[in-house]
Amino acid sequence: MKKLINDPFDMVEEMVDGFLSANDDIVRRVGRRSIARVASPIDGKVGIVVGGGSGHLPAFAGYVGHGMADGAAFGNVFASPPARPVVEATTAVDSGAGVLYLYGNYAGDCLNFDKAQDQCREMGMDVRTVVLNDDVASAPIEQADRRRGIGGLFWVFRIAGAKAEQMASLDEVFEIATRANANTRTVGVGLTSCTVPANGRPTFHLEEDEMELGLGIHGEPGIKRQKVAPVDDIVEAMMDMILGDLDYSGSEIALSVNGLGGTPAEELYVVYRKAREICDANGLRVRHKNVGEMVTALEMAGTSISLVRLDEEMSALLDSTVNTCMYKKP
Amino acid sequence: MPTLTGDSVRLLLDQVAIDVESNKDFLCDLDGEVGDGDHGVSMTIGMRAVRRAMDDLPPDPSVEQAFQAASDAYAIEVGATIGPLYEVAFAAAAQACSGKADVSSVSDWVQIYQAMFDAIQQLGGAELGDKTLLDSFHPAIEKLASLEGQDLVPSLEQAAVTARQAAEATKELKPMKGRASRLADRAVGYQDAGATSLAIILESVAAFAAHVRS
Repeated sequence: MKKLINDPFDMVEEMVDGFLSANDDIVRRVGRRSIARVASPIDGKVGIVVGGGSGHLPAFAGYVGHGMADGAAFGNVFASPPARPVVEATTAVDSGAGVLYLYGNYAGDCLNFDKAQDQCREMGMDVRTVVLNDDVASAPIEQADRRRGIGGLFWVFRIAGAKAEQMASLDEVFEIATRANANTRTVGVGLTSCTVPANGRPTFHLEEDEMELGLGIHGEPGIKRQKVAPVDDIVEAMMDMILGDLDYSGSEIALSVNGLGGTPAEELYVVYRKAREICDANGLRVRHKNVGEMVTALEMAGTSISLVRLDEEMSALLDSTVNTCMYKKP
Repeated sequence: MPTLTGDSVRLLLDQVAIDVESNKDFLCDLDGEVGDGDHGVSMTIGMRAVRRAMDDLPPDPSVEQAFQAASDAYAIEVGATIGPLYEVAFAAAAQACSGKADVSSVSDWVQIYQAMFDAIQQLGGAELGDKTLLDSFHPAIEKLASLEGQDLVPSLEQAAVTARQAAEATKELKPMKGRASRLADRAVGYQDAGATSLAIILESVAAFAAHVRS
């Protein structure tokens, strides 16, 4: 294992220290592993709290700031945070207008965020949750409640965050987050494994000439292991899965190509080129796009493609400005 | 017959923590086959917190205090799925020992283990056969319950052997919970990491009790 770390068991703590120090114009510490926007709670504004395991930056803490989330909780690498930091973030961002939790659908996250939600409700806060499940490859559509949350959560954070920024009510922010999630699909492909620092060895093994379609952002096995193919073929397979899962025809689309941490931006643009070509060929109007690292898996090589079927409101919200720790748009 | 007081349980949990950590790589390897490869890491993070919590206990803690401190350590440090599960398990163990000066009989440990089992099942919602830690815990508790009235150390040892065998037998099961559940058939043939760490804990308890006797 070659990593820029000290004691692997100290990595998360030291990362949080550095993250806070580097972004102290946007966020402040509200607990050992919890952060909130400097200005929070913002009067009258619904607070959005995100979180999950570490190892996915910019998700989750990187999206705290104007236009996306108000607070975040850090877990250990690839492990949900306990309830405590979620409660700390919730308390810090609650202006009285209520708080919405947004996080990916994993057993650990559900357990710990639910527990935090219970505790915060007992303290009198109005908290609701939308669990994100955009990963087409992780379960068939009829078992959508078992699907994982991966790269598409970027768009849900954006849409819900923009709505909250307009001082919408908790009901409204909850509703649009639910709608955005229901209209978002993602398929990922992994080319290499990754190493959890405290583990020290790669989580799994892929041969030099192998890739895995549908590989999860913690290395969970996907649906098909195959020889690496030319990227156009890979993108076609990914887009087939996405377009076969949701009818996008006639709608405006948000399209993103996410890097998993170990794939250069150049390759992501090659992926985008083909994905865009397929969208155009299918008559899909790509209105919003993003290419880069949005939800990573440490140093895993690979990508995920997300498509959001937009309506007028969601599309307009995506025109708004964003200024978060790790994503900015004028 | 060993007498396991609160202070013994403090030392016992410290030893359990050491034994779990020494199996970190093995547990990660098991988890890496079907999950995300971090079970050994999560357990180690929790058990390191348990060791610090045992150090911080007042002199001559009660049995209940020792278990409760382990619960708090998991609650604060671990997260993931295993954090809340062991948090409620140790809290249930604490409650089962409330008011007891020592836990030196088979019946005491049946109560402790059963309380832990029930708490885990209630929170996690798994059924037997879902390829979780319940699958090694349940037969071990049944074994121990069948030995009530007998000497503690050999009884704990037999329960631990049962747990280890049952953990190995999880190879045949299809996962229904947690990250591994999403690959169902592909996970058959791999031993469940959570069932294995539970067996390691029971082995550690038995070995510690044997050590107290001598």
